Amino acid sequence: MKSFNKPTRRTFLKTSTAAAALIGFGPGILRHARAQEADLGAYKSAKINWRQAEGETITVAVIPASYFENLISLEPQFKALTGIDVRFEKVPPAQIRQKSVIDLTSKTATYATSATDPMYYSLYAANKWVDQLDAYLNDASLTDKNWFNYEDIFAGWRGANSVDGKLYGMPYDGEVTIQVYRKDLYEAKGLKAADTLEDYMKNAAAVHAPDSRVWGAALRGVAGAGQNMYIYPSLFREFGGEWFKGGKLVVNGPEAEAALAYYVDLMRKYAPNAASNWNWPDIADAFSQGTLGSYIDAHSSASVVNNPQKSKVIGKVAYARWPKGPSGKRVSSIWNWGFPINAALSEKKKKATWLFIQWAASAETQARTAHKFAGPTKRSGANRASVWKDPEYVKLLNGFGDEFVKVSMEALQNDTDVDWRPRVPQWPAIGDTMATAIQSALSGQSSIKAALDDAQKRIEPMMRG
Amino acid sequence: MASAGNTAATDVAGVAYSDFGHVLAQRERRFATLLLAPAFLALLATTTFPLLFLIYTSAYRMDLSMPFLNGFVGLENYKVLLSDDRFWHSLVVSLVYTISTVILQVIVGLALALFVMNMKRGQGWFRVIAILPVVLSPAVVGMIWRTFMLAPEFGIIDYLAISAGLGSKNWLGDPFLAMVSVVVIHTWQWTPFAFMVLLASLASLPEDIYEAARIDRASAWQRFRRITLPLLRPAIVMVIIMRTMVALTAFAAIFTVTGGGPGTATEILNLYAYRKSFTELSIGYGSALAVALLIVTVIISAILFAIRRGK
Repeated sequence: MKSFNKPTRRTFLKTSTAAAALIGFGPGILRHARAQEADLGAYKSAKINWRQAEGETITVAVIPASYFENLISLEPQFKALTGIDVRFEKVPPAQIRQKSVIDLTSKTATYATSATDPMYYSLYAANKWVDQLDAYLNDASLTDKNWFNYEDIFAGWRGANSVDGKLYGMPYDGEVTIQVYRKDLYEAKGLKAADTLEDYMKNAAAVHAPDSRVWGAALRGVAGAGQNMYIYPSLFREFGGEWFKGGKLVVNGPEAEAALAYYVDLMRKYAPNAASNWNWPDIADAFSQGTLGSYIDAHSSASVVNNPQKSKVIGKVAYARWPKGPSGKRVSSIWNWGFPINAALSEKKKKATWLFIQWAASAETQARTAHKFAGPTKRSGANRASVWKDPEYVKLLNGFGDEFVKVSMEALQNDTDVDWRPRVPQWPAIGDTMATAIQSALSGQSSIKAALDDAQKRIEPMMRG
Repeated sequence: MASAGNTAATDVAGVAYSDFGHVLAQRERRFATLLLAPAFLALLATTTFPLLFLIYTSAYRMDLSMPFLNGFVGLENYKVLLSDDRFWHSLVVSLVYTISTVILQVIVGLALALFVMNMKRGQGWFRVIAILPVVLSPAVVGMIWRTFMLAPEFGIIDYLAISAGLGSKNWLGDPFLAMVSVVVIHTWQWTPFAFMVLLASLASLPEDIYEAARIDRASAWQRFRRITLPLLRPAIVMVIIMRTMVALTAFAAIFTVTGGGPGTATEILNLYAYRKSFTELSIGYGSALAVALLIVTVIISAILFAIRRGK
């Protein structure tokens, strides 16, 4: 009692040291406590030994994006479950492919796994840089098939991450391209969401009013394998294009010209001048400022146009699937970030890596990083149908506007096309060549036909080998 | 050896002395070598070795996307290069970029130097402010220009263009304007270098010649044309040489501002080599492009040095 009322020098020192220690180590202790508290029962119901690679440390390269940040924040739970330490390294999307390729080609095994672009699996598989995942999936000591429920993951993404029917990367987060439009502007003109590309152009013309700072539509215009070469392949496929003719990659021809002409036409007539240098964040920003009537891009951009701090169009946004092309097809991207296993790892590290991948791609972790996530930014790119059917997830995503979940789900299940882009080991070169060709047509540096013919001429020797 | 022995026999004292000197000199040389060695080896390891490795690589096919085809190809990469339109195009872009930026830097730098020489006050301040762009990283400069200055509708330059009645321009989306933009950016960043060198050299010109000229009633233009320019000539040539070498190997600013686009409108040789090597993963061909750039740079520098020595 005495010490309570009148702290002695010693007790003062003791308490302040304790307080300092708590401040210093507090977050660590608290995080540990939270991990302990967190219910690991959902994972422990899997009939595998989660602790079989205990004590291992693996490094995982991801991009700095909220969907990976959420995963990183759950890492203490993974550690508590498996005893494996995961060190995350954040690499910007522009560099992660190069860094991974350099790591894989030099066989340094720096990254046990890295967030991987689906277009790179052909390259990785051709060089045997990464392991086939089927062996891990079918090993009963490593995977509880019933618990993991691999078939629940969207077929389009599984297909996109497979080469010759063999899986090389486990989809973690992905997106689907959809039409995003301004309900109010469309209603004022009596328009409906476009069902065909032709309608889409007409709608753009109808709401186009640059004098009052509203442009009809915009698509990604900036050059890059993941930028203009993200939109163009959908158009090309919708116009009936096939990448391979008689086993040969062909990028020119009438369908290609028609698709590129549509792209150029839409951008020149109804998009802001600057859009030819825009990537998706620029488009979403412009749309959220009310200056765009519509755009076609990833469904995940909905979180930007619904950001309460920035957006002026909340409540005025609606969604629809890609408009149909002349071939009658709707073609969405098959984009997802997947996790492969670096073939240069030791056997034990491979096991640890697989456990991490299984954990990250499981329904439970998918839910815990999405609607069950405690932080403010929830994910919208969950990898499996069961999560997309969870009422809580649906409720969360429908906050983005009319029919968001219905449209995205339909697109995910029907519009994803595994042959959206030519899946060959030479993709990095082909993607860049095509991106340059498309941009020279968009900017008027060369004609549509000349740009495509030139690309064909450059691509032929790359394929000939 | 025989002659050394001969000398030793004839002049003993001289030999002893020169032997001692010889030993001393040798020791000194050894010591100097020892001191020099770390720096020399480091230089060898970081510049000469990579250069030789680059040349070695350029004789191979090294495609990360198709490793089973890799192997020695001799001069094949160079043969392909000579018939590659995009190589010639990028070479032309490099030359246009270099010539226009160097000429602009010299003219603007000289004009600024002459102007500042005649300033009565604030010379020090002006110098400090003028040098600022040089200390910025080219990548940062590129980002600033791309986002703050040239963005249509929002950028400062575009705002000025609209205010001046020219209308909004797509600065980086139009092939011609994009080239003009990257030339202006490089000039903006590096003119202060030319300015500082020329200013220092102007300040050291002898005043008496000008006095004599004035007595002879030479006009300002005549004084500039007949006195200033000839006296500044060594400094100007030096600036041209240094700036040419840098402009030929420029990379960061263009990479961040246009990435070589739109299309290939601003794709300098350096950028093409980078894209071939690291985006398309054809390391062998990319190395051949880099060697070609090296050859071009060496030839142009040799010509410029020859001109400098010639006069």
